[in-house]
Amino acid sequence: MKLKSLTFGAVVSVTALLAAGQADARDRIQIVGSSTVFPYTQAVAEEFANNTGQAAPVVESTGTGGGMKIFCSGIGERTADITGASRAMKVSEWQLCNDNGVTDITEVLIGYDGLSIAVSRNGTALDLTKEQIYLALATEVPVNGELAPNPNRTWSDVDPSLPDMAIQVFGPPPTSGTRDAFVELAMREGCKDNAFFEALKVSMEKKEFKAYVKEHCSRMRQDGPFIEAGENDNLIVQRLDADPEAYGIFGYSFLFENSDRLQPVTVAGVAPGMDTIGDGSYTISRPLFFYIKNAHRGVIPGLEEFVEEYISETAMGPEGYLSERGLVVLPDDQREEVQNAAAGSSAMTRYTN
Amino acid sequence: MAAKRHSRRRHARERYLRIVGLSAVAAALGMLGLLVVSLTFLGHSAFVQTMVDVPINLSEELIDRGEPAKGNYRKIVTEGFLNLLPEIQARGERREAGKILSPGARWIIKAAVVANPNLIGTTHTFTLPLADPFDQLHKGVIPRDVPQDQRRVSDNQIAWFDHIAASGRISSPFNWGLFFNADSRFPELAGLAGAIAGSFYALLVCFVISFPVGIAAAVYLEEFAPRSRWTDLIEVNINNLAAVPSVVFGLLGLALLLNFLGMPRSAPLVGGITLALMTLPTIIITTRASLTAVPPSIREAAYGIGASRHQVVLHHVLPLALPGILTGAIIGLARALGETAPLLLIGMNAFITSASGGITDPATALPTQIFIWADSPERGFLARTSAAILVLLGFLVTMNGLAVYLRRRFEWQW
Amino acid sequence: MLLYVFAIILTLTVLAYFHGSRRAASLSAFSDTPLHSRPAYHGAYVAIWAGLPSQVLVLLWVSLETAALDALIAGTLPDAETAALSSSERGLIVSEIKSVARGLIFGEPAPFIVDAAARYGEWQRIAAWCLAASAISLVLLGLAVSQRRITALFRARHRVERVLNGTMVLCSLAAIVTTFGIVISLAFEAFKFFQHVPISEFLFGLSWEPQIAIREDQVAGTGAFGAIPVFAGTFLISAIAMIVAVPVGLMSAVYLSEFARPGFRAIVKPLLEILAGVPTVVYGFFAVLVIAPALKSFGGDIGLPIASNSALAAGLVMGIMIIPFISSLSDDALRAVPQAMREGSLGLGATRAETVLQVLLPAALPGIMGGILLAASRAIGETMIVVMAAGLIATLTLDPLQSVTTVTVQIVTLLTGDTEFDSPKTLAAFALGLTLFVMTLCLNVAALRTVQKYREKYD
Repeated sequence: MKLKSLTFGAVVSVTALLAAGQADARDRIQIVGSSTVFPYTQAVAEEFANNTGQAAPVVESTGTGGGMKIFCSGIGERTADITGASRAMKVSEWQLCNDNGVTDITEVLIGYDGLSIAVSRNGTALDLTKEQIYLALATEVPVNGELAPNPNRTWSDVDPSLPDMAIQVFGPPPTSGTRDAFVELAMREGCKDNAFFEALKVSMEKKEFKAYVKEHCSRMRQDGPFIEAGENDNLIVQRLDADPEAYGIFGYSFLFENSDRLQPVTVAGVAPGMDTIGDGSYTISRPLFFYIKNAHRGVIPGLEEFVEEYISETAMGPEGYLSERGLVVLPDDQREEVQNAAAGSSAMTRYTN
Repeated sequence: MAAKRHSRRRHARERYLRIVGLSAVAAALGMLGLLVVSLTFLGHSAFVQTMVDVPINLSEELIDRGEPAKGNYRKIVTEGFLNLLPEIQARGERREAGKILSPGARWIIKAAVVANPNLIGTTHTFTLPLADPFDQLHKGVIPRDVPQDQRRVSDNQIAWFDHIAASGRISSPFNWGLFFNADSRFPELAGLAGAIAGSFYALLVCFVISFPVGIAAAVYLEEFAPRSRWTDLIEVNINNLAAVPSVVFGLLGLALLLNFLGMPRSAPLVGGITLALMTLPTIIITTRASLTAVPPSIREAAYGIGASRHQVVLHHVLPLALPGILTGAIIGLARALGETAPLLLIGMNAFITSASGGITDPATALPTQIFIWADSPERGFLARTSAAILVLLGFLVTMNGLAVYLRRRFEWQW
Repeated sequence: MLLYVFAIILTLTVLAYFHGSRRAASLSAFSDTPLHSRPAYHGAYVAIWAGLPSQVLVLLWVSLETAALDALIAGTLPDAETAALSSSERGLIVSEIKSVARGLIFGEPAPFIVDAAARYGEWQRIAAWCLAASAISLVLLGLAVSQRRITALFRARHRVERVLNGTMVLCSLAAIVTTFGIVISLAFEAFKFFQHVPISEFLFGLSWEPQIAIREDQVAGTGAFGAIPVFAGTFLISAIAMIVAVPVGLMSAVYLSEFARPGFRAIVKPLLEILAGVPTVVYGFFAVLVIAPALKSFGGDIGLPIASNSALAAGLVMGIMIIPFISSLSDDALRAVPQAMREGSLGLGATRAETVLQVLLPAALPGIMGGILLAASRAIGETMIVVMAAGLIATLTLDPLQSVTTVTVQIVTLLTGDTEFDSPKTLAAFALGLTLFVMTLCLNVAALRTVQKYREKYD
């Protein structure tokens, strides 16, 4: 009889489970996107859940590119409501969104983030130019007047004034917005400062030159000195802490968060900081966004309030809790504009005009 | 003489082998010791939390009796806390001093007031957690004797902290929040409740599926199945499945359950099913072993008094084998509890600040929570991660202990 | 509602059981023919007829109800509101209706949505009542049909046993279905991958750079999918693990089974087995936090540059994890050597060491080899240690001080993060998974074969 009661119990529980498993309409907000925006979204999600008492949002860090793919996969309960991005949405992604019926999107600029190169406090703080960064990390660099696979193995190979130390830089993979931004803001700019490319610039047409730079300056080297360290910037921080000769590329907020363990590499003499990023003197900085699927507003419970929380002064204002996590906040007038646009769910116009 | 030397050499070799063996055992145990000691060393501090007693004036001006949830708790908490440091007046300094208290303190007070609205209009002393850097400072993890710019707390803040500490308001009670809070971005508030709930639901699903199916399959294969190519195939198959890497089961869950059947991402239901498929072979194998261990005399006696084959198995063999089966099932579940890789692939690694309420509600599990915390930058999470590991190990030891107890208590010696 | 229906079915089933057995018992009391089966079997027979069909009905109903109701409610929406909408937008309206019906009203829903929500609630109630009515009538029908069959000669036991047999066969097929599911899902996605990348390139290519552009306007790596470096990394780390685990595990087994006193053995063996029970994520944390920095600083002291995510650190920790597998399987193998061989050797005057080395180990070799193969299969498939402690770049190297990547690391990194499902990048994870599955399958089968053959030899 023991056995029968066992089978009986099993039947009971299976059915009860299936009954409980009947998914009702989704009551949690789903958020995906960039690992750089993740800590801010995390903070807002926690405040939102605790302040309103609504179901806590589900926040996943998937990288900007990955987040866009999920966000743009369509509308409906099974798709994400918000994606964070550490760069603006690209035309191709906008196209993808449109093809899948995600046409009404609001773009919200949260603030700025500097891209910092950092090293453990026990390591050597370098001062690099963008050109040196390019020469250290690109797949191809000019050698004797033509492009060749990067021969530089130590920093002193790049420039004799730098220490004789193996190049070892941890950086983000291509799915991440951090990588896109770094390539755009540091690598390509550094390229343009190089004498070889400057010479080409004179001989080429503007458009042709741009394409040439994009073609030849966008690849990070794959032969060892540049190490892709996954989507998770925290792991890089820990690696750097363990290895004083390793450098890491990540958002300024991570450096801020770990300022007791890490020190920044100055770029052209300027160290990243709230002030230098805010006034633009630290040039490797980028805007951070999140994108809202307006079709889901008023359908997914709490989405409206969540957006309100995100754009409130207590969050993205100058003394808000996001700045405590390292966000460089927007100037007052720009912030007000953003807040109004987000509250009124005005559609993004980046590619419509 | 030569024989003696020869014999001495032989015995020396014997000693040598003995020493090598003993040192191998010592090396293995040493590794276990190193693992446990280093985890305990890193994690023990997370089991206490530095708290501060703060008298909070819950004035009616700031909280509406009708809607206690809507009060301005941020202001209430900050003012209450800064009253402990009356000499601070400058705005910047007040802001700096406010960071000593955990930003989550206001939610604690809010919850208390909502639960007991009679507190409104009174002054009540709350015991509130300190922010992570000060928790670490109090525990001595953050050194005081390094220059200010190399630590997370300023000299001013340390002075204020010491001032409060001198008045005896700082205490370090056991950190119940570690077990009863859900995840949080603040280490001082982060707890395992969400992960424990997620693991519980996933294991429940896993048990409900794998236990009955596993036993039925084992009984059939061991007692009823005719020896044929088919049953041989099933046997090879089960033995192989038991050794398939767990990440492959994750791939199965992702491709089949999430993408093909469209089940919800991050849900313990999906995690549980995936874990069940993984545990099933283990349960089948141990069940078969305990069925074979029942001596033939029992069967023969039952047959002798006219029982049918089913009656023999169900009434006699299976009940006698049950303790062994349960032991195997518990060990299988313990392994499922510690499994991480399949859960990562089906998205049970999101950030959620409330505990899961059911098997389709998104959740994390204990091992994935450990993985997430291990990657978090805040210093406090280092200790929390080790503490979470100790909690997980505690669960595993309990489960295995239960299995050993069952085996000892109910096993027959034939 | 569903729970009530369920409880009612359950109660009725229990009642049916008692009814059936009572009826059979009274039959035997009033007639001369003895019952073929004991009353309990008659009861079970009736209970199966009463409970099983309605249970199946409830399950089917529950799994189909939501979809059916959604479709129905979408059909009743006014054309004026939905004509211009795509199907996913309609789906969104349906979920809004459902939220409103549950009482989660926020903002101001359009009037047609409020109407539909009221209708939806109404239909849900109707559906629930229908379910209850049909399930209960099915129970009663089953009860009526089956109880009429009860006679003294009715072979209730055979029928019940047949149902039991059927269930058990179904359950034992679960394992086959799982394997089938694994092979199908892996092969299906891998096949799609091989349409992008030729299979020969995948198997023999020397460069693994899955960083292909995920957008048209992005320039990334070239996107090479040659898996050799990934497998090389896997084998390197597994080899380090085996170099650590085989001697330690084997020597511990020898010591524990041949030299140690029983008391010592009783304490040490379970302690060793704890190592196997520690979750791998814990080992990963241990590797990152304790072993890797220790190795690195040690390397720094003796002037060897050791990468902070070196193959050595991951391999060492994996080796620790595998020790108990090898020791317990070797222990089994050693104990399976017949006592007579041990005693014969000692009786001829051999020392214990000579007995172990020249008699026992050669005799137990096949079993030990099987154990080692199984352990190797586990090392190759181990995930969390390497995800946390090994690298991501596929370097083709045999230097254990460098950072390498493994198959499992690549699977996890390719699938967490960018979750789009048709790019070669994600599909590559399935191709890797398939290869991993086939590889471990071969190892497992070989191992199980040797172990089994060896067991037969002495049994």
